[in-house]
Amino acid sequence: MEAEYGVPSAPIATARFADYVQRDGRSHGMILRWSFPPYPVGWVSRKTLHGYVEGNDPISNVPLMDEVIFALTYPLTEAEKNCKAVKRPERPRLLEPDTEADLHRLFLENGWTDGLPIVLPTEERVVEMLTGTDRDPQEYVGMMSVTTHEERLQYTVERVAVNAVMAGARPEHFPVILALGASGRPSMPSSTTSFASMMVVNGPIRNEIGMNSGLGALSPVNFANSVIGRAWTLMSINLGDMRPGATFTASTGTTINYNNMCCAENEENSAWEPFHVRKGFKAGESTVSLFRGWNVLGFNTGPPQRMVEVIKSIGGPFGGAFTFVIDPLVAKSLKEEGYADPMKLSQWLLDEMNPRFKRPETVNFIVAGGEMNPMWVVTDFSYFQTVSIDPWIPRTGVKKDERPLRMPEAVMCKDGSCGIPQ
Amino acid sequence: MNTGCENIEKNVKKITVLDPIGQPTGIFGRRLDIDSPMFAIHDPENQPRDTAEALGARKMAPRLDNLEGKTVYLVNTGFAGSKEFMEEVQGWFTRNQPAVKTELVHKKTSMFTDDPELWAEIKKNGDAVVFGVGG
Repeated sequence: MEAEYGVPSAPIATARFADYVQRDGRSHGMILRWSFPPYPVGWVSRKTLHGYVEGNDPISNVPLMDEVIFALTYPLTEAEKNCKAVKRPERPRLLEPDTEADLHRLFLENGWTDGLPIVLPTEERVVEMLTGTDRDPQEYVGMMSVTTHEERLQYTVERVAVNAVMAGARPEHFPVILALGASGRPSMPSSTTSFASMMVVNGPIRNEIGMNSGLGALSPVNFANSVIGRAWTLMSINLGDMRPGATFTASTGTTINYNNMCCAENEENSAWEPFHVRKGFKAGESTVSLFRGWNVLGFNTGPPQRMVEVIKSIGGPFGGAFTFVIDPLVAKSLKEEGYADPMKLSQWLLDEMNPRFKRPETVNFIVAGGEMNPMWVVTDFSYFQTVSIDPWIPRTGVKKDERPLRMPEAVMCKDGSCGIPQ
Repeated sequence: MNTGCENIEKNVKKITVLDPIGQPTGIFGRRLDIDSPMFAIHDPENQPRDTAEALGARKMAPRLDNLEGKTVYLVNTGFAGSKEFMEEVQGWFTRNQPAVKTELVHKKTSMFTDDPELWAEIKKNGDAVVFGVGG
């Protein structure tokens, strides 16, 4: 309104956001005349709101409405007339040399980690990580911000490698991590509602790098799942400019942000086409599919009618989208019940739910699990995007260590003697 | 054989590591276009962007001498409690600044989305605007 329409404005935000919006203004090069009532404004009584309007701005200690009048009528100062955006300095390639202990402290105290111990990104380790792709280390990969409005940060193959090293990843994982970077999508976008993300890998690379799509696919029982999921978080922090309170506003936060539900799809045991094939990719292509929502809403076992009962009873905080992670046994049963195409099931569930907008693509199914029981979990996650991993894989194939690191595999029945259908 | 000196060496030997932080771009996100899908606010593929140069060229509007006889639009942005809060703001004007005409309007599009129709109405019929409540 100020710049494009020439109308003086007085924006009001709660005092909890005073630092946030003022910092935002400085970075944008426009100082707006904010007024800040106490908080919260939502879910409080009219009497409380009346008191806010009649009372003082707790930041300035001036009557709130006097500030509003001032904002609209007091002549602009020279500083307001000539405001300039604060330009951020370029980042160095190397940090000042220091001891290992002090560097760990530096990374932790600067908020460059997820709070867990990291692997320090020495030149030697980063060079080794770069063997996981043929791409030039200085090639531009993408840009990212956890906010909707703040400055995007851009990054090269090398800066992605730095974060991959920090996460504990090996070169074999690097193509998947680069594909995540190429998406430009942070795993923990800023919102007071505390967003969570999920990532699912399809295609040959799943098995080449030892990802888990079976028993405990979403649990910390697999090296690749753990470090790849963590790398997305570290990239969101360091390449997406995540700074709590400054750019990141998740009120309660979510533990899903630690690993982003990183898993592979159990293509071998699924009764359905792989997820990425349903999204238009070739079966032989390796991809990572990205989802975002808030919560794992519940788990259950049973047929489609039970799915309807559960999603009807819990809903999502904003409704509309659901992603199910279902054990292969569930997919087999569903197929036997006539749902050879999961989209048909999505449509049926929507018809039963009867939401305002009936878009079957908002209900998705991922097959993962160890066939211990026909279990499924349902999330309020929306599907966003599938990114190809292949462009990041070396021409000679995935770069594996001589003795690739693998955690123990789950003990599984292979011959049918346990009664699990093969 | 462990000599006992390893930890001492670890604590005094300096090593060099790479900076993990991305580079500034001078590219910022901005409000969604009116026809953007709601979820585009968090979708890099659909998120509209501005450059630092374009943002730096934007200036604040001249202020009014006073509000007497003027029309002030009160825009409910749509966050929780905003409607009730802006109704209280309107009540304050009625009680304390009766010479000011207020128009309480509720943003039809989401809080993240542009609303040029409303901005044009405010430009045409109003003199100033109060937005609330962010948060």
